[in-house]
Amino acid sequence: MTASAEPVRAHRRARTGAIVQAALPFVLLLLLWQGLVAGLQVSPLVFPSLSAVVRAAGQGLRDGSLFLHLGASLARVAIGTAIALLLAVPLGMAMGVSRAVAAFFTPLLRFFSVLAGIAWIPIATLWFGYGFGAIVFVIFNAVFFVVAYNTLLGVATIPVELRRAAASLGARRWSMVREVLLPGALPNIVTGIRTGLGFAWRALIAAEMIATSTGLGYMLFLARDFYRTEVIVLGMVLVGCTWLALDRLLLAPLERRTIERWGVVRGA
Amino acid sequence: MKELLVERLSKIYFDPDRGERIAALEEVSLRIAPGEFVAVVGPSGCGKSTLLNLIAGFLEPTSGRILLDGRPVRGPGPDRGVVFQSYALFPWKTVLENVAFGPRMRGLPKAECHAKAMRYLELVGLAHVAHRYPRELSGGMQQRVGVVRALANEPEILLMDEPFAAVDAQTRMTLQEELARIYEERRPTILFVTHDVNEAVFLADRVLLLSKGRLREEIPVPIARPRRWPRLVEDDDFKALVARTLSAVRAA
Repeated sequence: MTASAEPVRAHRRARTGAIVQAALPFVLLLLLWQGLVAGLQVSPLVFPSLSAVVRAAGQGLRDGSLFLHLGASLARVAIGTAIALLLAVPLGMAMGVSRAVAAFFTPLLRFFSVLAGIAWIPIATLWFGYGFGAIVFVIFNAVFFVVAYNTLLGVATIPVELRRAAASLGARRWSMVREVLLPGALPNIVTGIRTGLGFAWRALIAAEMIATSTGLGYMLFLARDFYRTEVIVLGMVLVGCTWLALDRLLLAPLERRTIERWGVVRGA
Repeated sequence: MKELLVERLSKIYFDPDRGERIAALEEVSLRIAPGEFVAVVGPSGCGKSTLLNLIAGFLEPTSGRILLDGRPVRGPGPDRGVVFQSYALFPWKTVLENVAFGPRMRGLPKAECHAKAMRYLELVGLAHVAHRYPRELSGGMQQRVGVVRALANEPEILLMDEPFAAVDAQTRMTLQEELARIYEERRPTILFVTHDVNEAVFLADRVLLLSKGRLREEIPVPIARPRRWPRLVEDDDFKALVARTLSAVRAA
C-alpha cells in the first residue's frame, strides 16, 4: 500500500460508513414492519404487508400509473415554482434598490411567507376550480413569498463597499442590479428556493387530495376510497422519497455550489 | 488630471443617545493639484474616512462643497476611483472581470476592456492570475487588483482609504513601494487616507493632519523620488519628517 492511497481509502471507508449509517434505521424499520404485520396477522384493510406494497409498486410501474401521478405532481411544482421565481426575484431586487419599496413590502412578505401553502387551498379552488390552476396557485404562493423575502434579505446583506465600488466604477441602477445585487443575492435566493419548495411540496400533496384527478396526493386519497392500504403506503413512500431525492440530489448541491461560487467573502 | 477643491466642508451627525450634534468633519478646506500625492493622517475617529467618503460621493455633506475640475461633485462617479481597505472585489467575478468592470461600464467593447485590464494587471505582475477568483488570492494580491481596478478606469483622482491596513507588515512595504513606483511612472492625482505616519511620509508629497474633524497642520515632504524603503530607512530627512509628523499627531 502506498502512502498516498491511504487517505483515499480512509475517505471511501468514511463515505461507506455514512451511507450504512443512514440506511440502517430504514432497513430495521422495514424488517420490523414485515415482522409485525406477519406476526400479528394485521388485516390488509388496516395496514399492508411490505410485499403487498412492493407488488403495488410493480403494478404501478407496469401500467405506467406511477409515472403519470409522479409526473403530474412534478410538472405542477415546476410550473408554479417557475412563475413564482419570475415574479419574486424582480420584486426582491426592486425592494433592494428602493428603500421605500422595501419598507412597504417587508411586513407583508414576512406575514405571507409564514402563511402555510395549504391555507390557500380553499380560496384557490374557489377561484380556479378543482384542477391544475388551483394547484399551481398554491405552489406559487408557497414559493413566491419565501423567495421574495430571501431575495430582499440577500440584497440587504451585500457589503456596502461592493455597491460603493460598483458605483464609483460607473455602474448605474440597471448595471448595479445585474452585476452586483443579483449575483450578490444569489446564495440567499437559492436558499429561498429550497425552503419554498419544501413548503410547496407539502402543500402540493394536500392540494392534490382535494383539487385534482392526477398526482401523488390524488393517488393516495383515491386509494383510501377503495381501502387499498398498500397503494396508500406506496404513495407515502413515494412522496417522501421524491422530496428527499429532489432536495439531496438537486437543491442541496445547488445551494452549496452557489454559496461556494458566488458567496460573498467578507473583507479581511 | 484635474484639480480637486474642497471648500469649508462639514459633516454633522445627530447622536440620538446623547441628544447632541457630532461634527465628524468641520469646515475643512483643501486643494489637491493635478498629479499631486496627498496623504491625510490622524487617529481613528478624526474624520479622515468621512472626508474621503464625502469626496467619493458616498456621503452627503452637511455644508460646504467639493469641486473636481470646477464641477461640483454629486454622488459617486467614475471620475473618482476608490480603493477600499476591505478590497471590495466582486467575489463572483474573476480578477480580469473585476479590473475590466469600469471600462465595461463606460460601454467599451468587451475585447478592448479585457485587453486593457490585462495591461493593468501586468503593471503589478498579476497577469498570471487573471482568470482566478479573488478568494484564491492572498490579501496583498487582492489589494493589488483593487488598485489596478481603480486605475484601469482612468479616474481624475484616486481615493485610497487605508488600503494597506489589512495586510501583514512585510506585504504592506512591498505594496507601498509598488504604489510609489506606479505614481512615479504615471503621476495620477491621489488622496491617501491612513493612520500610519511612516506610510504617509513615504508616499506623499504633502501630509495633512486631521484631528477631531478639523485640519490641524500641513507638512510638505520634499524627499526626492524614486522612493524605496531600503534607501529611506537610512535617510535622515525622512526620519526627521516622520518624527515631526508623529509628534504633531500626538499633540493634536
